[in-house]
Amino acid sequence: MAVIPESAPAPARGRRWIYVVAALLCVGAIAFLLLGGLRGNIVYFRTVSEAVQENDTGRLRLAGEVVPGSISETDDGVTFEVTDGNETVAVVHRGDPPDLFAEGAPVVAEGEWDDGFAAFQSDRILINHGNEYSPPDVSSEDPSAEHPS
Amino acid sequence: MISLARPAVNALGLLTLVALFVLAVLALGVVPPDAVQGDAQRLMYVHVPAAWLAYLAFFVTAVSSALYLWPRTRQPGWDLLAGSSAEIGVIFTGLTLVLGSLWGRPVWGAWWVWDARLVTTAVLFFLYLGYLALRRVPADPDVRARRAAIAALIAFVDVPIVHFSVNWWRTLHQEATVFNPDLDAQIEGSMAWTLLFAVVAFTLAYGYLMARRVQLARLEEGREERELDAAIAARVASGSERTDLEDRVPGEGTGKGNIGDPAVAGAGEHR
Repeated sequence: MAVIPESAPAPARGRRWIYVVAALLCVGAIAFLLLGGLRGNIVYFRTVSEAVQENDTGRLRLAGEVVPGSISETDDGVTFEVTDGNETVAVVHRGDPPDLFAEGAPVVAEGEWDDGFAAFQSDRILINHGNEYSPPDVSSEDPSAEHPS
Repeated sequence: MISLARPAVNALGLLTLVALFVLAVLALGVVPPDAVQGDAQRLMYVHVPAAWLAYLAFFVTAVSSALYLWPRTRQPGWDLLAGSSAEIGVIFTGLTLVLGSLWGRPVWGAWWVWDARLVTTAVLFFLYLGYLALRRVPADPDVRARRAAIAALIAFVDVPIVHFSVNWWRTLHQEATVFNPDLDAQIEGSMAWTLLFAVVAFTLAYGYLMARRVQLARLEEGREERELDAAIAARVASGSERTDLEDRVPGEGTGKGNIGDPAVAGAGEHR
């Protein structure tokens, strides 16, 4: 007897908790993204000049342009120089650079200074491409136009 | 409540399909590849309009929510429109993240980076996913719609943050090509026109998806009404059955005077 009135509210109550939990999980994901991921990354990179001036120990990201003619391959990676127009720094990178790594490419190198701040030891390179698009035949423009400012 | 006639919706669907087909031909076959990025740059023609559509969808959600909260314009239809638009927005925010990831791998050299643009976009995804979950927490329809509308207006704060993140903070993600601070688009003509066409095609898709979602909501409403009628009818029927039972209780009911009966004793233990 009274089967329908007794059983009807039960699934509704179960569903309620599922959606409350789902909403709380979303709040948790947002907290994780902002507190765990974004903190310390709001300024995603330092320019070469800033990095040279600050001389911070510990991991940082260094942004600049690969100096043409400075790339040479090593056993476990590449070495090259990176510049922002004012300062130039030698980078020793371990690992494969990304496909678009080339002379004049705008790069972000992740790593830390070696002892004495002589060179930057990088283990990750990202390409910091600009917001300009053109077909190949009109591409011989000054690559410094893509430099992050 | 805004609702299009069925033939108009179908025509819009056909137009959307044709536009997306033309977009595929333009983006994959007609427009030249980028000088630096090569064919990977073609992802721009879906990544950018997907992000635009997410912005548009959440804007419609915000306006509809404000119209619901404003007492003079309070209609259940605005709540329904807000929820429908947010569903589409969440899907296209997810699509923006996935397409951006596919673009980032060959160009940046990473599927994901913790920069402000990417993180605030992921936050946008979870804000509106949470909003959709909140919408489904049962309550009085007006209370539910009102708290959803407030949540939608709070969540919308992230949309300008996502858009301007590349100008406000230093990010790996590039600045907007067209709507950059100087409004100085450095993009070759045929690429710009294809991008504009892509935005139009995706906007048509938004219109079609919204029209279909509202149709679906109508059908859901009809079903809920029918179910409610059926439940009331069933309850009325069981109510009359109950009075029948109660009439019979003195004869069969509580087990008094039947203790010696093994069947009745067993049933009692299970209770």
